[in-house]
Amino acid sequence: MQVFKDILDTVFSDVGVFDAVCVTFQLAFGATFLSSVLGIILGLLLERVRFAGKRIVVRINRTLMGVPPVVIGLVVYMILMRRGPLGRLNMLFTVRGMILAQVLIITPIICGMTYTSLISRAPAIRTFAKTMGAGPVQTQWLVIRELKKELYFAVITGFGRSISEVGAVMLVGGNIKGHTRTMTTTISLLKSQGIFTEGLTLGVLLLIMAFIIQSLADFFQRGEKTDENY
Amino acid sequence: MKITDLQKKQGDFRMKIDSLTLESGKIHGIIGGNGCGKTTLCKLIMGILKPDQGFVDYEGLDPGKITMTAQRPYFIQGSVYENICYPLKVRRIRPDGQKIDKWLARCGLLEKKYQYARSLSSGEQQKVSMIRALIFDPEFVMIDETLSNLDPENLELFENVIFDIQKKRKITWLFISHRLAHIYKMCDVLHFMHEGTVLASGEKNRILFETEDERIRRFVANEVIKMEGSV
Repeated sequence: MQVFKDILDTVFSDVGVFDAVCVTFQLAFGATFLSSVLGIILGLLLERVRFAGKRIVVRINRTLMGVPPVVIGLVVYMILMRRGPLGRLNMLFTVRGMILAQVLIITPIICGMTYTSLISRAPAIRTFAKTMGAGPVQTQWLVIRELKKELYFAVITGFGRSISEVGAVMLVGGNIKGHTRTMTTTISLLKSQGIFTEGLTLGVLLLIMAFIIQSLADFFQRGEKTDENY
Repeated sequence: MKITDLQKKQGDFRMKIDSLTLESGKIHGIIGGNGCGKTTLCKLIMGILKPDQGFVDYEGLDPGKITMTAQRPYFIQGSVYENICYPLKVRRIRPDGQKIDKWLARCGLLEKKYQYARSLSSGEQQKVSMIRALIFDPEFVMIDETLSNLDPENLELFENVIFDIQKKRKITWLFISHRLAHIYKMCDVLHFMHEGTVLASGEKNRILFETEDERIRRFVANEVIKMEGSV
């Protein structure tokens, strides 16, 4: 790890790239994990439960899927600032605060994608499960199992959104070197300093890391065969 | 099984069955034109749909012993074997490998045991669907056009399978099929449905050939013309 740190310090200027890499992944994994749990549960509930105003809730969810991160960043900033409703938690300019902001950005995406997959495929799966004698828990488990590819894709999309996000983490994290600076905010800083080559190199490094993680995730999804009929 | 005052509204379609008895141990057939409510009735019996009014009295039959197969059956992601084991798995029954192999061999699917189920042809999928429905020894089986894609040879195979089961232990069957010859060969009792109601129920010859009802006579005549046209 020290070797990796030395290489990064040699290649890049003194902007704390190694720490930025660590913060980026801490943030991406933390936010994706929490958003996945919340988003999938909310997506399942949204599809399953009938209530007045459901269509409005679905529309709001779809709107939030495309909300500008900087708006969420500003809202979270106002909530977490010293005079804000959660100011006493001292979460502003911390990784926890950044995770909170990203959870608010990613959860609607995962929830929306889960819901969309479910409304098109879950009824057939539930009917099948019922004809096979499955109970409610077995049926719900089968729905999740049958939609694992779609849920995996939703989680990966959330991860991609997290790792590439800059607006909200800049506002809530404050881009503090060694603490809340991420790879994307470092790139933004390098650009403002006119150090374009290093910024681009860091961008490529971020892509390579995302590619490795994607490949690892795909590796664990291996063994899925074609469902084409012939 | 007794169905009393059953009502279900789905969009413009309205089902209303005042009374219908499905005598146990018999092979029943439901006939009727498209959209007359045959599948809806099966779904109501299966509990997939909830009736707006009325009820289905299972008369002591364990709902876990009722099953239904569809025209386009659903297959879980996995092999033929995994699909056949699914109803056993939900009942926490240990799969009997020999029994499964025997079923697969009889249907000519033994070499496809570990093939991805969704990659099978539609006829093979219907055979797997039938095996999957019968593997846990149900007491009441509803077959909703499941055998429609089978060639005459395979259709006869399943007809023999069903007769064999009936010889060993009499279970109740409910067939939905547009093949009148198949229905006539298989069933003891027929129920004719029209616009969401059961117009007539009874012994198959009485329903098909001795009825006074013009709608049934017209339906039978049309089906016979279709059969002759396809020969």
